[in-house]
Amino acid sequence: MSTMTLQSIQEEYGDRATASPLERELYSRDLGPVPALMVDPLFRTRPDLIVRPGTTEEIANLVRRCGAEGIPVTPRAGASTVFFNAVPVKAGVVIDLNALTGVVALDEAGMTVTVKASTTWSDLEAYLNAGSLACKTVPSSAPAATIGGWLCMMGHGIGSLKYGSLLSQVRSIEAVLPDGTVKRISRTTEPSLDWFAASEGTLGIITEVELEVRPLRPMRHFLLHIPDNHAAVQVMNLLMAAQVMPYNLHFSDSCFVRAMQDLGLSQASPNPGGLLLVDYEGGTDELAEAGITIQKILKEYTSVTLLSESLAQTEWDERYKSIRIKRGGPAVLGGELLLPVNSLAGYLDDIRKMADVYSVNFLSYAHVVSPEQALVMSMFFADETKTLQYIINLSLVKKIQDAGYRHGGCPYGIGLWNTPYLRRIYSSSQLTVIRERKRKLDPLGIMNPGKVYRTPFMLNALNFSLGMEVLAGVRRIFGKGW
Amino acid sequence: MSNHNKTYNTLEQESLICARCGYCRGVCPVYRAIGWESASPRGKLSIARQVFSLKDQQKLDDEFVHRVTQCTLCGACAQACSTDIDLRRLYMDLRERIAGMGLAPKGYTALQANLAANRNITNFANQDRLDWAQDVDDPEQLEPRAGAEVCYFVGCVSSFFPQASEVALSVTEILTEAKVDFTTLGGDEWCCGFPLLASGRPDEAREFMQHNVERIKALDIHTFIASCPSCYHVWHQGAPEFLDGYKLEILHSTEYLIRLIKEGRLTLGEMEARITYHDPCDLGRNGGVFDAPRAIIQAIEGVELVELAHNRMQSLCCGGGGNLQSVDAELAGAITAMRVEEIKATGAQIVVSACQQCEQMLSAAIRKAGLKVKVMDISQLILEVLG
Repeated sequence: MSTMTLQSIQEEYGDRATASPLERELYSRDLGPVPALMVDPLFRTRPDLIVRPGTTEEIANLVRRCGAEGIPVTPRAGASTVFFNAVPVKAGVVIDLNALTGVVALDEAGMTVTVKASTTWSDLEAYLNAGSLACKTVPSSAPAATIGGWLCMMGHGIGSLKYGSLLSQVRSIEAVLPDGTVKRISRTTEPSLDWFAASEGTLGIITEVELEVRPLRPMRHFLLHIPDNHAAVQVMNLLMAAQVMPYNLHFSDSCFVRAMQDLGLSQASPNPGGLLLVDYEGGTDELAEAGITIQKILKEYTSVTLLSESLAQTEWDERYKSIRIKRGGPAVLGGELLLPVNSLAGYLDDIRKMADVYSVNFLSYAHVVSPEQALVMSMFFADETKTLQYIINLSLVKKIQDAGYRHGGCPYGIGLWNTPYLRRIYSSSQLTVIRERKRKLDPLGIMNPGKVYRTPFMLNALNFSLGMEVLAGVRRIFGKGW
Repeated sequence: MSNHNKTYNTLEQESLICARCGYCRGVCPVYRAIGWESASPRGKLSIARQVFSLKDQQKLDDEFVHRVTQCTLCGACAQACSTDIDLRRLYMDLRERIAGMGLAPKGYTALQANLAANRNITNFANQDRLDWAQDVDDPEQLEPRAGAEVCYFVGCVSSFFPQASEVALSVTEILTEAKVDFTTLGGDEWCCGFPLLASGRPDEAREFMQHNVERIKALDIHTFIASCPSCYHVWHQGAPEFLDGYKLEILHSTEYLIRLIKEGRLTLGEMEARITYHDPCDLGRNGGVFDAPRAIIQAIEGVELVELAHNRMQSLCCGGGGNLQSVDAELAGAITAMRVEEIKATGAQIVVSACQQCEQMLSAAIRKAGLKVKVMDISQLILEVLG
């Protein structure tokens, strides 16, 4: 790696470039609380240099210069993921993209907005709402997640049930490719737009996104208390088959609800059971029809209770704050997976049995992102100050993923830490296709290396499975009360 | 709803609870001005976790200490926090730990020396606290007087800084006009203790608070008003510990003045103007007072009140809080400049605030930006339209 090049970049960018130890430390992590003991011996997560460019041209210049010297480049914006998606594993340069914010153009007639890639979803939503427009879909981490970052992570979230994934709403992007060229990319270009969805910054740096918007319309929220997970899935299916498609369906299982109540964070029904938040948006007729659908369901499922409007409104208002459960931690560990909706109840039954085996309490919620699939998060409390126990507890994350896999699910997001599950996420032919794309666009492998495409040796599926099984065995015998 | 409902256990626990989600970044004026992760609330908590929760003292270096002082204590991060952490309190705790280790920045030294010697933030003697009142009709009426209906707590800035003393003069004139039986603590008024809290010296701050509460009790006064939002906030939070059953209504001046308007003790005239209102952090987000100042402005016939893009709970800081000016005046100015952009966008002729510090920061930045926008404290606005 060229020290001269790094020095020269640092000089050129002045106070927008740093190699300060404090900054390097902070840019070597994301949300995932992985102990240094597991990271430092295996990966070089501390960048050599961090740069904050302000324009597409500056980003292109940086990428070109790093490419010429084979310096790894890791793009980073909100860094609101947990798999080291935006954390370097081979040092090099981190490009902090957070200065790239703001709306570039609004086309009200065409119902599209073009926005700089590091604008947060909350900021875009606020901008659009002021003009009686809204995003079609937003991530459940909208105050931190950025437009470009979420597209890089595939983009299933709130509103996806009605309006589809983010990819389906994006018309075009501007991206800096690994060779430093700047290209406007759509569905008809080569490379194509879909290459970049879920690419996690490995194919280039998205700098602008043109996406579809919707009119801002009134909403109606219903909160259903459902004692049984199987009934919950049946109710979800009925809601999705009804005349009006809900904008959003969010299910919290009874363990999650109970934990929130214990922490004083939920005032919902004191009876055991899960909570299904059903959100509609639309015209007066649609919202009236939604009410009729809910009443039909209440008639058919006598065990289902409709909770108050104010509780439903509170659940909706706090839609970005599910992580508040962490107050029961101090840490939470868990797995996020894409699961067939119809497998949700079976999966939850399965992990409940597993919870008994490992003397742990799994708390789960599910976000329905299409009529077929739900994004499920299952988690448990942990304490990272007890390093050994904490590392052993990590084996339960794999147990969660294994349970999901048995029910047709796979991890959501790859980064570094989910590479051991690569074969669960992609078929062989799909892997061949995405690797070929990577080879084509980034033959030198400088763009966010060590992510998505291959499993590092120490994390290869066999090592990983064996290691985790041993730790799970220890956890099973000694882990009661951890 | 204000930040009062936020949760706080210990620095060690809260640093671990932080999810590092980054919801705090976009709303933090310091992060917005600086741009580096270490300037963000989550960055600071991340290091605090290493140092205090995971006991890695090596991470406690000068750069981190400087970052901890680069905070206006505006509380926007606490409002955004996904895990409900009272970050404002956490920062003060963090500053206390740092001060306890002897690592407090030099910028705090002069401030603390003044407070220890003079019981106010300046190098003026505390007996001179009422010097600002020389121009009122009867300065003697402001000397401490037992049994008055109301005690007006003037605050250090309005007592000793000529520009800010306009606020004290306006409040005095309004109260006199409304025939309110009021007094002050005069030379017995000590600093409310906020600068001590903000520099990590809560025990000393408590001494100041105790002294002031005892003075109020001795005067047998049961209504307290402060025109400084930080004084108001500190009293609201800290006085109950020392009141010990003594009944004292603690109000910001805007809450008291709107009461006078509604009771018909003050009559406001007309003013043709487009006015915007800047929420002081300690009055609004941290104090929960949003409506009283707006109600006063709207009580003036002919005024058009336009809201700033960020208002009420989402209001942006003026840059003048948290002792930031004493350690990094340039950063404070950069934060004010961001707020001035929002003021400019409203097209308002007048920006009104209810804090002498906000007024000072905004006046300087508006002058620097060459804008034709008048900056007024709400008491000055009332005075201008007093019928």
